[in-house]
Amino acid sequence: MSRRSANRQKSGQELIRLENVSFGYDDRSTLDDVSVDIEPGSFHFLTGPSGSGKTTLMKLLYLEHRPNTGAFSLFGQDPAGLDASGVARTRRRIGVVFQEFRLLDHMNVIDNIALPLRAADVSVADQGEDVMELVRWVGLEDRAGAFPPQLSAGEKQRAAIARAVINSPELILADEPTGNIDPEMGGRILRLLIELNRLGKTVLLATHDMGLIRTAKSLVEAHVLRLADGQLSRAAAAL
Amino acid sequence: MILPRTGWTAPLTALIAAAMAFLAVLTVAASFAAGNLADAWRTDLAGVATVRISALEGDVEDRVKAVLEVLRTTPGVKEARALSDAEQAALIAPWLGGEGDLADLPAPRLIDVTIQGAGPDSEALQGRLDLTVSGAIYDDHATWRGPLAAAANALERVALAATVLVLLTTIAMVAFAARATLIANRETIKTVRLIGGEEQFLVQAFVPALAMRAALGGLAGALLACLILLLLPEVDGEIGLGDVLSPGWTGWLVMAVGVPALGALVAWLTARWAVGAMLRQLQ
Repeated sequence: MSRRSANRQKSGQELIRLENVSFGYDDRSTLDDVSVDIEPGSFHFLTGPSGSGKTTLMKLLYLEHRPNTGAFSLFGQDPAGLDASGVARTRRRIGVVFQEFRLLDHMNVIDNIALPLRAADVSVADQGEDVMELVRWVGLEDRAGAFPPQLSAGEKQRAAIARAVINSPELILADEPTGNIDPEMGGRILRLLIELNRLGKTVLLATHDMGLIRTAKSLVEAHVLRLADGQLSRAAAAL
Repeated sequence: MILPRTGWTAPLTALIAAAMAFLAVLTVAASFAAGNLADAWRTDLAGVATVRISALEGDVEDRVKAVLEVLRTTPGVKEARALSDAEQAALIAPWLGGEGDLADLPAPRLIDVTIQGAGPDSEALQGRLDLTVSGAIYDDHATWRGPLAAAANALERVALAATVLVLLTTIAMVAFAARATLIANRETIKTVRLIGGEEQFLVQAFVPALAMRAALGGLAGALLACLILLLLPEVDGEIGLGDVLSPGWTGWLVMAVGVPALGALVAWLTARWAVGAMLRQLQ
């Protein structure tokens, strides 16, 4: 696999396809000629040192940034042609887990988890059982009425994962989801993401924690993409 | 609720709305007072004239009768009446302190003239008076009426301009408050966008909350201003301005209900516009 076309397959069924994509802030290039295909249902790690562009690539994928050059296809369409409403609809097909959680402090766990439903104009009352099921799934049933400032980092991240999947997205993007939590809780977060992958969700997990990747390799068939100096490559098999 | 119930921008919006409604009520009250004053000046000075008869020449009473006779036969004069000694004494009492005797003073006799239509030809009437009696001066108040009418009109315009200025300032302040609220909640907005929230969802999340805060603040400010106006010392009836400065039931209704209602509407429209513009800018 060449550095410029990591995991490239010409199946035509890719969930994500980046082709010679470059992106930079001002004059500084962060992603340089990146190409990758990610198939539906796959589990990918995105690794690389701090500042290598992992978060930038994630932002491209959840449409916070647009490539400077190159071709980008998401769910089989070019996001460049999407208007604001189209971007919002596409984002509802993506569940994003942020390193800094991004929970709303003035809402309790249940309301935070249900927020994507409200944003999608789905009746929260009709989905109440789904929300509670997710709360139980992430093990927060005893903390359902708590507000984020009352939660530990691990609890916040589990709430964030529940929020990311409440809309049944096809793609889960997790940007350093274990970066702010202890290793034990990190393992628990990883198992939740693997469970989602087994349910058919495509998962892309950005992390610089090689231990986490080694743990995952024994649990799931995971591909590892490595970003260094803005360039993406498939990592060596032995991690 | 997407918008936090607390935070520094919540009281800011209500406080700004309260202050602007307070000022709006005061300017509306001033508008009513200026309008009433202008009407009073126009009404009091229009349709009346005065003939002054000097007391220094000849028998005053004979000359008063002669002048009344001339006025009775003058087209454009509806009624003419000589002021009684008591009425004349009352007119100069403020200057004499009630101690002087009118008979000791060379005060001119005054005749109240009620005119109809365009009134008499002033020059022709003065000519007839000159031929009939000496020292009789016809005064149609033209010297006073013009400047007073102009002053009354100017007062009305100033009051109206002040009201419009307060309204525009309210729009600007609500826009600033909306902007401050959005900036303070920038991360909330970003999060909602990242999870697929559309502009309309954010508008519906922010605008009613902003408008409600502005409406409640506006109501409080308007009622406080009305209360202060009610507690102002009443203008003494002898000065004749009590009715003029009172806004009347219509005015109270406008100030206590209309101003907060208009404020809420302006706040809603402004917040809707400001939130939309700010969201597009944040995007």
